[in-house]
Amino acid sequence: MKWLNIFVARVRALFRRDHVLQDIDEEMRAHIEMETEANRELGMTPEEARLSATKSFGNVGSIRDLAYEVRGGGLMETFWQDLRYSGRMLLKHPGFTFIAVLTLSLGIGANTAIFSIVNAVLLRPLPYQAPQQLVTLGELVPRGSVSYPNFVDWRAQSSLFDSVSVVRSNENYNFSGAGEPERLQGRLVSAGFFSLLGVKPVLGRDFLAEDDRPGATPAVIISHGFWSRRFGNDPGIVGKQITLNNQSYTVVGVSPQDFQYGLEADVMIPIGLTAERFKARGADPGVTVVARLKPNVSIQQAQTETDVVYSRMEQQYPETNTGRRAYLMSLHEAFVGDVRRPLLILLGSVALVLLIACANVANLLLVRASTRRREMSVRVALGASRGRIIRQLLTESLMLAVIGAVLGVLLAYWGVNFIANQLPDGIPRLTETSIDVPVLAFTLGVSVFVGLLFGLAPALQASRLNLTEALKEGDRGSSSGRQRLRSLLVVSEVALTLTLLVGAGLLIQSFRRVLQVDPGFDPQNLLTMQVSVNNTDGHQVAAFFEQWQQNVRRLPGVKSTAVSNGLPLGVANHPVFFIEGRPRPQLGTEPSGIRYTVSPGYFETLGIALIRGRVFTAQDTRETPLVAVIDEALAQQHFQSEDPIGKRITQSSSGTPSYEIVGIVRHVEQYNLDEPSRPSQFYLNFNQIPLDRLPTQVRRINLLTRTDVEPSSLVSAVREQIAALNKDQAVFNVRSMDQIVAQSVAPRRFSMLLLAIFAVVALVLASVGIYGMLSYAVAQRTREIGLRMTLGAQSGNVLRLVIGQGMKLALVGVALGLVASLAVTRTMKTLLFGVSATDPVTFTGIALLLALVALLACWVPARRAAKVDPIVALRYE
Amino acid sequence: MTNPKADLLQGTLDMLILKALSLGPLHGYGIIQRIRRMSDEMLTVEQGALYPALYRIELKGWVTAKWGENETGRRAKFYKLTRAGQKQLRIEEESWDRLALVIAKMREAT
Repeated sequence: MKWLNIFVARVRALFRRDHVLQDIDEEMRAHIEMETEANRELGMTPEEARLSATKSFGNVGSIRDLAYEVRGGGLMETFWQDLRYSGRMLLKHPGFTFIAVLTLSLGIGANTAIFSIVNAVLLRPLPYQAPQQLVTLGELVPRGSVSYPNFVDWRAQSSLFDSVSVVRSNENYNFSGAGEPERLQGRLVSAGFFSLLGVKPVLGRDFLAEDDRPGATPAVIISHGFWSRRFGNDPGIVGKQITLNNQSYTVVGVSPQDFQYGLEADVMIPIGLTAERFKARGADPGVTVVARLKPNVSIQQAQTETDVVYSRMEQQYPETNTGRRAYLMSLHEAFVGDVRRPLLILLGSVALVLLIACANVANLLLVRASTRRREMSVRVALGASRGRIIRQLLTESLMLAVIGAVLGVLLAYWGVNFIANQLPDGIPRLTETSIDVPVLAFTLGVSVFVGLLFGLAPALQASRLNLTEALKEGDRGSSSGRQRLRSLLVVSEVALTLTLLVGAGLLIQSFRRVLQVDPGFDPQNLLTMQVSVNNTDGHQVAAFFEQWQQNVRRLPGVKSTAVSNGLPLGVANHPVFFIEGRPRPQLGTEPSGIRYTVSPGYFETLGIALIRGRVFTAQDTRETPLVAVIDEALAQQHFQSEDPIGKRITQSSSGTPSYEIVGIVRHVEQYNLDEPSRPSQFYLNFNQIPLDRLPTQVRRINLLTRTDVEPSSLVSAVREQIAALNKDQAVFNVRSMDQIVAQSVAPRRFSMLLLAIFAVVALVLASVGIYGMLSYAVAQRTREIGLRMTLGAQSGNVLRLVIGQGMKLALVGVALGLVASLAVTRTMKTLLFGVSATDPVTFTGIALLLALVALLACWVPARRAAKVDPIVALRYE
Repeated sequence: MTNPKADLLQGTLDMLILKALSLGPLHGYGIIQRIRRMSDEMLTVEQGALYPALYRIELKGWVTAKWGENETGRRAKFYKLTRAGQKQLRIEEESWDRLALVIAKMREAT
């Protein structure tokens, strides 16, 4: 409490100076009055009494000042003085101030921007109630999905959860019957999904158990965005009917505006309505799970229980559940685990940039300190203590840092928008990025820290001066300690820059390698779009796709068309398959492959090369034998020595239907260009899907058009052909294949771009640092250089002398930087592709680049030194 | 402030002020008079030194200050000993007693 009293008194003394002084004056006046009265009682005349009282009191002015200082004015007032003085100094040297503030605001701004992303994505808790209790469940791999029947059993047998819910995002619905048809993103959830998260619908209610079962009245909760977009925020929406996939749903609720859970969804629908769809226990696990642990239950406890439940299921359903385990993971980790490392690497890099900026500003301050030695000496001579001078200098550097921080926050504000626009959809929770209180606190902390960091060394240096020497010496002088410090700063700047450059170089190399990967198809001039057909008549569905292809093929600029279920660099089916005539593999060890169901024109349209045999033709129909095409990976992995052509594969353990393999094609990259594994792939013929099953398999069909011209120029013509066949048919995901490729590498591009920007900023700062240091050294040594030239040194010698001085430091920095890089790039391994973390080409190339830039930075001051006129130099003062 | 002599005097002055106020709230002028009386006119506190000391003691929380009126109706600032101040007074008196004792013993030892 004492310090609080003192602090309050000091602040009051500072801001209410007059008031405090008045108080002191009045008290002293009262004192003198009282003494005067007492004196009069002793028999003095009024004049004598007053005179004696005043005299015995002493020097009113100095007592008053002393009293004021005790009352707290002192410290605060010197601080105030320091502040005003610093302001004046900064204004008096606008060039210096401008450079320092610019450097700092770049550094602080970049840090603030990156930190605001890290804060939103990694640090801020998920926007749900008690988010630390939320977990996900995944079979086979953490963060995977589970099969719905397993989920139902697990839910029934678990006791450590408050509530659990299924989530299946990326469902699609055709919204029709109210104006233009629209393709909606949907999400299937269990009853109680919103209450599990602790989120309250803005209108209506959460799903109840009676909504969440087969045969219930179809209910839907719509998103806030969809509600405003299509219903103009109609407050009476609850209870109304909307049409999705030609079926009528009753709106029971509207989700809050800021509600977010994974992928965007316009509509949420109880999964129980379509539980039929997910009844195959052994099928591709299809749903993800979110669950809330009971209070005080740990993930480990819940995992133990889940293990028990799953081994029980393994005994109960050996056919499907052998080897199936499930893993719990915190929801936060599941959402952001993937991006933690890239973001932390960016944060680390941007911190390096700030360190380099600090080194530069410290260098500037050292230069200035030497020009201010006289000023300092005078202050010391007039009685300023060392602490007082350090305080003054630190106030100046803190002021610089704070001004830099203010501009930095503005930069960050703009930068966050810039970064957000660069961003792929891959980074979760990014939309929540904002410059809020924690971010501002971070910035403030950083700016104070850097203010001390770059201010302390110069301040200590400046205050440690020998008075007589400094006063005599004037502005020049051999200040070897300071020179050493400046050299150290330049060396560390170069080393840090090299580390950043190497990191960026490795990412750029990786990115180039990724782009050079042969995807197995030709992404140029290929237009893609998707439709989801709602029609129960198989003939009409088949005719729709056939007719669309025929019509589009007639358009000018179109080379070929195809339809497919499955497309490279997108969502894929990954079922098991069996090879006929082989012993039945053990459960859990069946081969599996990515399945594409494609029309005959697919291979030509995508440019997938045929290796052997043939691809599908128009002669393959529903009436002719079933055929399949496999990729080279499947052929290698499952037909090492045999010829696969003529063999048969099947998708069910019963063996029917089976497909004759008629051809082998190139492997295509399915998930990512930098996919390390080569999963098997096989193709079935779209035109051989039985007509009765066709309507259930056209929920997400790609319409592909290979063009001679820029694909985007054909978008409206191709869409018109769809509308001509069915005006209610919604079309979505209209993209060129080039765009799809670009999107698939967008996260990589993002890290690379940012790190490259940081590295370039670092490079600029470091070269400015070298340049500044050498220029100053040359200016200081003008006399010496002049002397050397008088004694016969040629301008070439001088050039070598100066460049040698600079390059010596730069090369030491490069060497140190190489060692540091070796240590640092190891943390980047997972971000690299096709290049090792110690890639000698990158390391050498970057080292040479940096040495070259350093040489340039040395060249200019060295030239200036070489042009020194000895006569002028010797008279130089 | 770093002069040891000044520190000694200041510590003594603090104790004298606390002692004077232990008899009841008083204004600055009264404190000087009271100290003089209590010391049988042997001690005179420099008036100019009193106020800085008083303010320092106030910041330490040993006394509180309040404007009021003296016996003749004049406006004056009255200082009152706080609980912390009483404690401090006891501590300082004890250490003085100890010091006095030690010095007395040493003088006897000759």
